[in-house]
Amino acid sequence: MKYRITHSTLYDYSQSVGLCQSEARLQPRDFWRQRTESSYFEITPMPTDYNERTDFFGNRVAYFAVQKPHTKLLVTVISEVTLFPKQNNSGVFNQLSWEQVQQTLQGNSMSMQFQSFGQQSQVQGLACSLDLIEAKQYILDSPMVTVSAELADYARISFQPNRALVEVVYDLMSRIYKDFTYDPTFTTIATPLSDVLRFRRGVCQDFAHLAIGCLRAYGIAARYVSGYVETLPEPGKARLVGADASHAWFSVYIPDLGWMDFDPTNNKVPHDQHITLAWGRDYADVTPLKGIAFGGGQHTLSVSVDVLRLTDTH
Amino acid sequence: MRNNSSANDIGTQYYATQLGIYDEMYANEIKALPYWERFMAALDKMGTENLELRRREAQRLLRENGVTYNVYGDSQNLTRPWRLDPVPLLISSEEWVVIEAGLKERAELLDLILKDIYGKQTLLKKGLLPAELVFGHEGFLNPCVGALQKQKHHLTIYSANLARGPNGRMWILDDRAQAPSGSGYALENRTVMTRVLPDIFRQTQVHRLSGFFKYLHKGLVDIAPHKKDDPRIVILTPGPLNETYFEHAYLAAHLGYTLVQGGDLTVRDGKVWLKSLAGLQPVDVILRRVDDSFCDPLELRNESKLGVAGLLEAVRRGNVAIANPLGSSVLENPALMAFLPRLARYFLNDDLKLPSIATWWCGQARERDFVLQNIDSLVIKPINRGIGNHAVFGGILNNKEKDYLRSQIIAKPHNFIGQEQVSFSTLPAFIDHKIEPRNAVLRSFVVAGNEGYDVMPGGLTRVARQKDNFIVSNQAGGISKDTWVLAAEPDKPVSLWTQPKRNQLIDADTDALTSRAADNLFWVGRHLERTEAVTRLLRVILIKFREVFEFKEPHDEACLHVLLRTLTQVTGTYPGFIKCDEKFIKAPETELISLVKDGFRRGSLTANIQAFFQAAFSIRDLWSQDTWRGVDNIQRRWQQRTSNVDLGIEQLPLHLDDLLTGIVAFTGLTSESMTREAAWLMLDSGRRLERALALISLLRSTLALRHEDVLQNQVLESVLVATDSLTIYQRRYRSYIQLPLVLELLLLDEAHPRSIAFQLHQLSVHISALPKSKKKSQITAEERAILKAYTDLKLSNVLELTQVNEDDGVYQQFEELLANTTDLLWRLSELIAEAYFSHSQTSQLMVHSTPEDEL
Repeated sequence: MKYRITHSTLYDYSQSVGLCQSEARLQPRDFWRQRTESSYFEITPMPTDYNERTDFFGNRVAYFAVQKPHTKLLVTVISEVTLFPKQNNSGVFNQLSWEQVQQTLQGNSMSMQFQSFGQQSQVQGLACSLDLIEAKQYILDSPMVTVSAELADYARISFQPNRALVEVVYDLMSRIYKDFTYDPTFTTIATPLSDVLRFRRGVCQDFAHLAIGCLRAYGIAARYVSGYVETLPEPGKARLVGADASHAWFSVYIPDLGWMDFDPTNNKVPHDQHITLAWGRDYADVTPLKGIAFGGGQHTLSVSVDVLRLTDTH
Repeated sequence: MRNNSSANDIGTQYYATQLGIYDEMYANEIKALPYWERFMAALDKMGTENLELRRREAQRLLRENGVTYNVYGDSQNLTRPWRLDPVPLLISSEEWVVIEAGLKERAELLDLILKDIYGKQTLLKKGLLPAELVFGHEGFLNPCVGALQKQKHHLTIYSANLARGPNGRMWILDDRAQAPSGSGYALENRTVMTRVLPDIFRQTQVHRLSGFFKYLHKGLVDIAPHKKDDPRIVILTPGPLNETYFEHAYLAAHLGYTLVQGGDLTVRDGKVWLKSLAGLQPVDVILRRVDDSFCDPLELRNESKLGVAGLLEAVRRGNVAIANPLGSSVLENPALMAFLPRLARYFLNDDLKLPSIATWWCGQARERDFVLQNIDSLVIKPINRGIGNHAVFGGILNNKEKDYLRSQIIAKPHNFIGQEQVSFSTLPAFIDHKIEPRNAVLRSFVVAGNEGYDVMPGGLTRVARQKDNFIVSNQAGGISKDTWVLAAEPDKPVSLWTQPKRNQLIDADTDALTSRAADNLFWVGRHLERTEAVTRLLRVILIKFREVFEFKEPHDEACLHVLLRTLTQVTGTYPGFIKCDEKFIKAPETELISLVKDGFRRGSLTANIQAFFQAAFSIRDLWSQDTWRGVDNIQRRWQQRTSNVDLGIEQLPLHLDDLLTGIVAFTGLTSESMTREAAWLMLDSGRRLERALALISLLRSTLALRHEDVLQNQVLESVLVATDSLTIYQRRYRSYIQLPLVLELLLLDEAHPRSIAFQLHQLSVHISALPKSKKKSQITAEERAILKAYTDLKLSNVLELTQVNEDDGVYQQFEELLANTTDLLWRLSELIAEAYFSHSQTSQLMVHSTPEDEL
């Protein structure tokens, strides 16, 4: 499955901006389910300084600076991505209970070291433990997700004793889908998770954060994924160009299997319609576009996203 | 040897140590250690009274040098004087060898850990450091992974707090690794000690501290990117509100670095630049005193106003070096101490020479259970320092609090450690005329050199004010001490100056004045001048007030009312005497006192002096020692004189005279000691601008309206007195006081330093001397504004100016000229700010604040 994504952000200032530095995580990363064929920026005014790198989580980051006075800044990214719809179905059959996973993640790194030494499976054991060490950071509190007793209470029903972790997460995802109202007027980026939980409203970011907090409350590693989802027009209506949006969901670490994605906003396991941009502990790690502008007065912001499925030519 | 004189009681025989506690002087023995015995004998010989005099002398020197420690949440009294006990901590050379080796080893070890955490992370991969310990600490900044540059050492400065346990061994209490403070205070303590105890200091062979600062400078030059020989080094401070701001300014002045705040720097083309009056200057090395997560609002804490956007990117590209590197506070995680013995064996194949205080990290099941069981005898600390995160002595909690703490530990065990409660050693301290034992902590300083690490032979010793108090901190009002490391042989003095290679010519660095410093200088000038103008006017008013009271002449009273209304105008404290009932202006005392001492009232003398002091304090590093004493003198004496609740109007003239003397002294010092470069131009421009504005305000308010002759003469005389011009007038014109002649002197006489023409002329000279971005042939907007004001004034004619409009009694042209000049001067002030104070432009964060999806 191939997609072309066009994501534009326009800043309009009431006064001139003399210098603006930005950081963008808007280019899709590669992993087993996804390959980026091309991805490039079109920025006006043209930045004087532009540099790409890979961040700590392996995401693609672009740093750019506009160093001459401007009153408008337009940042467009055009990417073409191929998805391989070979969703790792073994996940469904993974029967590791959540308690087992919790134990594995809590395991003392020292004892693991001894397991992996002097064994035939040394290399494999080490690779596995590296995965595990990396996963550990996703159990801890992060800037926007702090584990609380309230989150643990909400999640408790899903965490039945000896239940397979995969089942727990499916259950949690569908409960969030049912219990929470999608309401873009209710929250902003700054709305705390406790408000989302109390009023049972929010948007995809809130639902992803909520699920992540619930899982971490039980010692399960969960991370935040930012990206896009293909939307299909209602039957009989034409597709609206630019009416799509950024999206967010979460991913759970399952030992022996790896990371498995879940989309609580749509109650779906991402398959061939979810395009991944970046992942991290929460939104703060993967903010698609942020910047610091000097001057500018008031600013308005408009965003347009277009996710276009390309017809297969082969 | 016993000294039997009863007048003194500071010999060792009067010193009451506590049972079971190690004392520095006795080291568990019955008799004091020989070097302490010698020192105490010298004090004893000096006598209590004499020692108290020396202690006071030390306090005076510290205060005059502006050595302060800011206490948060103390806005009324921003700075607290630094306290120094004249009895130092003595450390023998044999013992110092052990401490020094231990500190060097620890710095090496922490440096290797830092390099690993922000590099290959082998320690995590091998399980030598638990992932939760590193990732769970707020000091771990993931954007900094991979950003370390090729340097021999990354940890340029390191500092540790040490204390001696009951067994006589030195322990490390905690590590300071991101922006250690205290080395400047240690140096200043030493400077003062050599002045107040010169005899004892000379008799005792003490290691000098100056070598440390030479090494520090060298260490900073070494890390400059691209191996520059003469890199530009700046000290990044959070600003004058920071608790150790004095030290930032002090080190900047001592080392010859520019003191900057985040707004003084900018990142362009991936490089760091200093915004100076003469444009952007490249910066190579930043010695930072800003916490690392605040240093870059783009990649680290978005809400930070203390940092520089894009700084981390400049680091990543190898264009700037920061000491210590961003992210090094990860080493301040107290849980790390539990793993250091293991890491010392791994990296150095050695046991730690100096042990850390026993620490159990609750992230491991066994240690957590130990801490939970022994909560009564341990100190429990969260690994992250922050609001509401305090160390807790388990033993003093009640059962309910204990249960709560336990539940917190069980919920997030990796966030807590337990530490052994140690009773530190005591040492003699001179408190309330007596020598008494006090618990002490020594902060030591280490700097990276080419060969390895160098340790300051000395440090900052601090003791608690109260007996039996283990919490020794400056915020809690502790007292500092000098630390004397005894040398086996006399130590040679070290000069900070480096010898250039052969006869290498070095460019004089004349234009590194930051635009923020320029802004502050401008306002120092303005606030000071405004203070002077108000003071002089108040003096005239008080004289008139007395005359009214004594002679009861109606003309005196009318003149007083004119002057009182003028005071309201000049200070901008409306409605004041302008729109008030008869009663108010007839009993002006309350309002006058308020205009003198009410610090919360804008326009009052106290408010102006406070503003002057704040602006001067913000650029503390730029003032010479003598000039700063002048600043301090104005502010402190005024505070002393006016803080009295029953300040009466009769005492005011004396206080005002005293204030004027202080102002004149400061003005004289600056004009005698400042080079005629950008800093002077800014200071004097502020002063000239304000003097012109104040004088115009005075003239408009007193003379724009015609008075009958007798009153007019009185008002004219008062104006001449208020502008310190009466003597000149009398000498020059010898005749009656006449309006045209007064105006000629105060408006147009360019030779008279109090005239408006003089101020405008000076301003135009200063402004054309300021650095410009435009070509020489082009005239700037600032130059145009001042030229217009100056020309308009020069073209005016005294006879025309004194033509009165018979309908309303207003000197029409005079009023128009002054109004016009005022407008131009205000415009000029704005233009100067736009052109030179570019730091004042604020930045804003651009992120989505609305939800991103619409699914």
